[in-house]
Amino acid sequence: MSRDYPAGTIRTEQVWKRFRADQQRMLLRDRVEQAARRLRGDRGEDWRWALRDINLHIEPGESVGLIGSNGSGKSTLLKMLTRVMYPYAGVIDVRGRIGALIEIRAGIHPDLTGRENIYLFGALLGLKRREVAGRFDDIVEFARLGGAIDRQVKFYSSGMQMRLGFAVAAYLEPHVLLVDEVLAVGDAVFQQRCLDRMREVAEQGTTIVFVSHDLPAVQSICRRGVWLEQGTVRVDAGIKDALAGYRDSIEAQSEASARVGEPLQLLKYEVRGEDADDTTLHTDEPVTVELTLGGDYRGDATLHLGVSEGTSSPIFQISHEIRMTGGDHRVACVIPRLPLPRGRYTLWTGVYSIGKTDGGTLMSWHSAGQFDVFGPMLDTPPRAVVMAAPVFVPHQWED
Amino acid sequence: MGGQRAQVIDEQRGQAAPPGVPVPAGPPPELVFKRRLRPLQVARELWAARELVRALAERDLRARYKQAVLGFAWAVLTPLALCAIFTLVFHRAVKIETGAVPYTLFAYLGLIVWQFFSNTMNQGALSLANNLSLLNKVYCPREVFPLATMLVATVDMVIGVGVLGLMFLVFWTAPAATFLWVLPLLVIQFAFTYGIALILSVAVVYLRDVRHLLPIITQMGVFATPVAYPLAKIPQRLQEIYVGVNPLGAVIEGYRKALLYGDAPDARMTLIAAASSLVFLIGGYLLFKKLETGIADVA
Ligand SMILES: Nc1ncnc2c1ncn2[C@@H]1O[C@H](COP(=O)(O)OP(=O)(O)OP(=O)(O)O)[C@@H](O)[C@H]1O
Ligand SMILES: [Mg+2]
Repeated sequence: MSRDYPAGTIRTEQVWKRFRADQQRMLLRDRVEQAARRLRGDRGEDWRWALRDINLHIEPGESVGLIGSNGSGKSTLLKMLTRVMYPYAGVIDVRGRIGALIEIRAGIHPDLTGRENIYLFGALLGLKRREVAGRFDDIVEFARLGGAIDRQVKFYSSGMQMRLGFAVAAYLEPHVLLVDEVLAVGDAVFQQRCLDRMREVAEQGTTIVFVSHDLPAVQSICRRGVWLEQGTVRVDAGIKDALAGYRDSIEAQSEASARVGEPLQLLKYEVRGEDADDTTLHTDEPVTVELTLGGDYRGDATLHLGVSEGTSSPIFQISHEIRMTGGDHRVACVIPRLPLPRGRYTLWTGVYSIGKTDGGTLMSWHSAGQFDVFGPMLDTPPRAVVMAAPVFVPHQWED
Repeated sequence: MGGQRAQVIDEQRGQAAPPGVPVPAGPPPELVFKRRLRPLQVARELWAARELVRALAERDLRARYKQAVLGFAWAVLTPLALCAIFTLVFHRAVKIETGAVPYTLFAYLGLIVWQFFSNTMNQGALSLANNLSLLNKVYCPREVFPLATMLVATVDMVIGVGVLGLMFLVFWTAPAATFLWVLPLLVIQFAFTYGIALILSVAVVYLRDVRHLLPIITQMGVFATPVAYPLAKIPQRLQEIYVGVNPLGAVIEGYRKALLYGDAPDARMTLIAAASSLVFLIGGYLLFKKLETGIADVA
């Protein structure tokens, strides 16, 4: 059963994890009560699955993005990979040294100095003092801690703690690097450096599992994507496909939440090409967005239109003043040259009042639906470079 | 092997297909995780964590002695103060008979052992609870936390033994020639103390209010253990049971015999204490290892 896998392999087989769902205080008197109840035959235990039947095989050197909504079990899975947490059932096998950055409060011990923490962490990874000393300067240099290295870690700012934690985890040459949603506290420059470093260690053959809600960042690092949904693996595929599936699902959820009782409703919308019957859209060609609004509201209002990729922030947003007269209102917007590359996009709209109740919500900002664009793909950026949003820029090269 | 259950999705659209293989309602019972302890692996992990033990102990010592004005004197002052009180109360008032041995020396020897035990117990019991954030971040064998507190208590004990040496000078006596008996007794003392610390440390994680019991145990323990009086004060027929429950009784008695009276410790009592402390140590360790797997869940 336990074959000899090389260092850097991660295997989980039929892993299940459950937590107590009922509120339980960790007190002796509650336990005594509980025991009394149990004697009367009332078990009174309520468990909830946090992870169900997780089967993952990750080869050394693979970089895997773990995505999914809040509470889908990403952190739980990562904690089990670091062996901090134990599964309820199943086999977990992680070979080699593990460098993990699970929480922002990085480092090992808040009362120790940064320097002591580095050595301690190295020791826990199974490195000799001499081996840590050899990498010490790199770590301090990367984390840009300077003089703070001899201060107690509890006096570090969140960003400094994260820097130290990341630098330690990434420079002590682990076979497996696990990073859970912590880079967000770093400033923009440091985030980019972290991503660069992750790409670097990935190229040196370190296995990476990266959890983040920053989907473009995940895309820039990972080749494979695992999408967890309510504790099960929904999709395990190439990162692009996994992300696309995940984005679509968030989309569907936000559309489903209906906005009832608002003064204005979006009755109909259409996104089309140049001709009225041409529903395929092409990059750098004209596009018309036509909306029909209905509702009792009379007066002036601002209509906003936005386009996003998935649920991230809009790529662009345009607005227009309209006058509602109590009946249906049709408005069309022509974009002469669509600046979007090939892909699937989401159209967002919202209407807000002008006048006495300036900025009052008439129809809240929501996604109306999706549309596909055909055309050239964007050129791939270097790895670890995060593209905020896809925009097609007509261009020509000369040399 | 479960195989890959996730479906591959449509290349062009990135649309997830409806789940193909449904997830079973629960895990197959034969796969339910069971803790298996391999002594060799446990030993290797403990050895690998020695740096952590050292760092944890060092941090505690530093924190304690940096802030306290009197520095390391604290390690000495508590037992000395207790010793003075005991001398007044038990020697002068209750008239405990210690033969040719000065009572102060007699009581102080017991207090060193008791102080070591109560320090380890009190600090060790909280050692996991105080480090919960750490337990959620890095893997290491968790028994290092109570172990580190025992290391701290050992440093205190060494200081206490230094003071004991001074007392021998003051009272113008020398340790008896049988002092080598101290070594096996030390092993018993450490085994029992560590066993108790292991049990209490996990107990406090799962039952937070157990920590409120600690002061009570400490207060009662110092009188329930033959610190201020000889073991002989306990009725003869109960002595064996007593030593079985509290091996410290035999340990303290043994130290006194070996160091002060020049006798070998009572063989029967020492063996009972050794067996009992071994049970505490192994039982405590197994309990600790079993409950350890759930610490991160309740942290
Ligand atoms: N120690 C615990 N006790 C009880 N329930 C827990 C515990 N840890 C996690 N859970 C539950 O398990 C589920 C998964 O949590 P987890 O932290 O893994 O989610 P996540 O995917 O990391 O979410 P996020 O994106 O918000 O970080 C949640 O429903 C959470 O409430
Ligand atoms: Mg999380």
